[in-house]
Amino acid sequence: METQDVVQKPPRTEPAKSTLPQPGRPVPSRAYPGALIVVEGTDGSGKSTQLYLLKRWLEIGGYRLHFTEWNSSPLVKSATRRGKQRRLLTPTTFSLLHAADFADRCERQIMPLLQGDYLVLADRYIYTAFARDTARGCSPRWLRNLYRFAPVPDITFYFRAPLDVAVNRILSGRPKLKYYEAGMDLGMSYDRAESFRLFQARILEEYDKMVDSDNFVVLDGTIPVNKLQKQMRDIVASKIELKRFAPRAEEAE
Amino acid sequence: MSEQEKEKTTAAVTTTEAPAPATAAAPKAAPAPEETGSQYFFGEPLVGFDPSEITGSLIVIEGMDGSGRSTQIALLQEWLESEGFAVQTSGLRRSNLVGRDIDELLAKNAVTRLTLALMYATDFFDQMEHRILPALRSGTVVLADRYIFTLIGRGVVRGINRDYISGLYAMALRPHLTFWLNVRPETAFGREFRKAQAISYWEAGRDMSLSHDLYWSFIRYQTMIKREFEVMAKKQNFIELDGEASVPAVNKQLRQRIAEQLGIRSTKYTPSAALSHLWR
Repeated sequence: METQDVVQKPPRTEPAKSTLPQPGRPVPSRAYPGALIVVEGTDGSGKSTQLYLLKRWLEIGGYRLHFTEWNSSPLVKSATRRGKQRRLLTPTTFSLLHAADFADRCERQIMPLLQGDYLVLADRYIYTAFARDTARGCSPRWLRNLYRFAPVPDITFYFRAPLDVAVNRILSGRPKLKYYEAGMDLGMSYDRAESFRLFQARILEEYDKMVDSDNFVVLDGTIPVNKLQKQMRDIVASKIELKRFAPRAEEAE
Repeated sequence: MSEQEKEKTTAAVTTTEAPAPATAAAPKAAPAPEETGSQYFFGEPLVGFDPSEITGSLIVIEGMDGSGRSTQIALLQEWLESEGFAVQTSGLRRSNLVGRDIDELLAKNAVTRLTLALMYATDFFDQMEHRILPALRSGTVVLADRYIFTLIGRGVVRGINRDYISGLYAMALRPHLTFWLNVRPETAFGREFRKAQAISYWEAGRDMSLSHDLYWSFIRYQTMIKREFEVMAKKQNFIELDGEASVPAVNKQLRQRIAEQLGIRSTKYTPSAALSHLWR
């Protein structure tokens, strides 16, 4: 059954029921045939490098996939840029603008691709908003409501690195931290590096709180890149039926 | 009223029900905000803001396109200023942060309903934090041309979950007075058409594919919005005024209620020459 009927779509463990995302209603992973893998973690935790390597592995294997990044919707970009440059953003509007950005990608890319049986890889997801915006003082309850239209990931990798390791990776590689990136809007310190450190500490704390409630797969961001990648690939292979996203027979031959 | 509508009524604006989480489990340890909101906010307080500093009044005028909101606000502003009150106005898409971006999105018609709803929420809170609250802190009367009720109504008729969209506005300040200028969609159509000799895409709810006929699209869309207002009117203590009445008649009723709220003795008012063209 699994290999014979090649002209048809690959067999699905769960039938696709809904055809459209319902804004404001949670989207369980059973509602669509695709699969969603997300990476989360503080700046400097190594998550983007690892997701890139995972993506390369899957691309080389010919799997159907789409990669999406936090804060990248062209529709909302100019507003975000203006808000940051002119420092107009408050915790609430910062949060809403990022939610608008995410909603745009969600409605126009993530959901349609999940419906269309793709493997979707997301560099940062709603947990970034939960951690960062809660660290800024937004109500966790309000935030959970704000993002409840988001599909629940099949795997959420949480790359955990000690605060000093992550912060030093960023500070050594980047000449100047941006205002909001460093959490300067919180008024914790006039020194950007110090403000960044304090802000990241809060974010790390918020991430740690979600490990159990949101089923994070915790990975150690301090071990060598290739070893970490091996772990990541093993987990993906064990949790997701990758065969379903493999090139269809008629395309491969 | 049907059973379904009754259900809707109970679920209206306030965020009394815990929102379902997007993810597998709820944050159980979340510091619980008041279940029913406070006297100042619909739900939870706005980050970093002390509502006890408010000395001004927030007066909201709601109503569909063509209900006469902006005419009434121009007249009220003049009257209040003549009575010695400082007045600030607010309205949709007027924020420095995203006002123009929303205009562009609407013009391009390349935006999905959820993104648009969230951009409007951003626009709303930018004005709330940078315009409305500072004004209220300094004792100003804020006249709001539309408020969260329009935004909630528009979202709900487009299929966005009511609790979800109401929840977005949990930190909106409760108005001191909310007026609803209620008109029939047919009347509104005539007024809007006369204004611009055309009906815009969004006013007619064309994105909802209700009818290819512009008139019917407008009527159906505005009727749906009106129904949402009826649901909210009870729950939120709207002061409903007959928007079909003449401008001076509606204005008189507005002045009476506002005078009561602000402690103004006389409600006498005749518009200046600059505004006399509105007085009919």
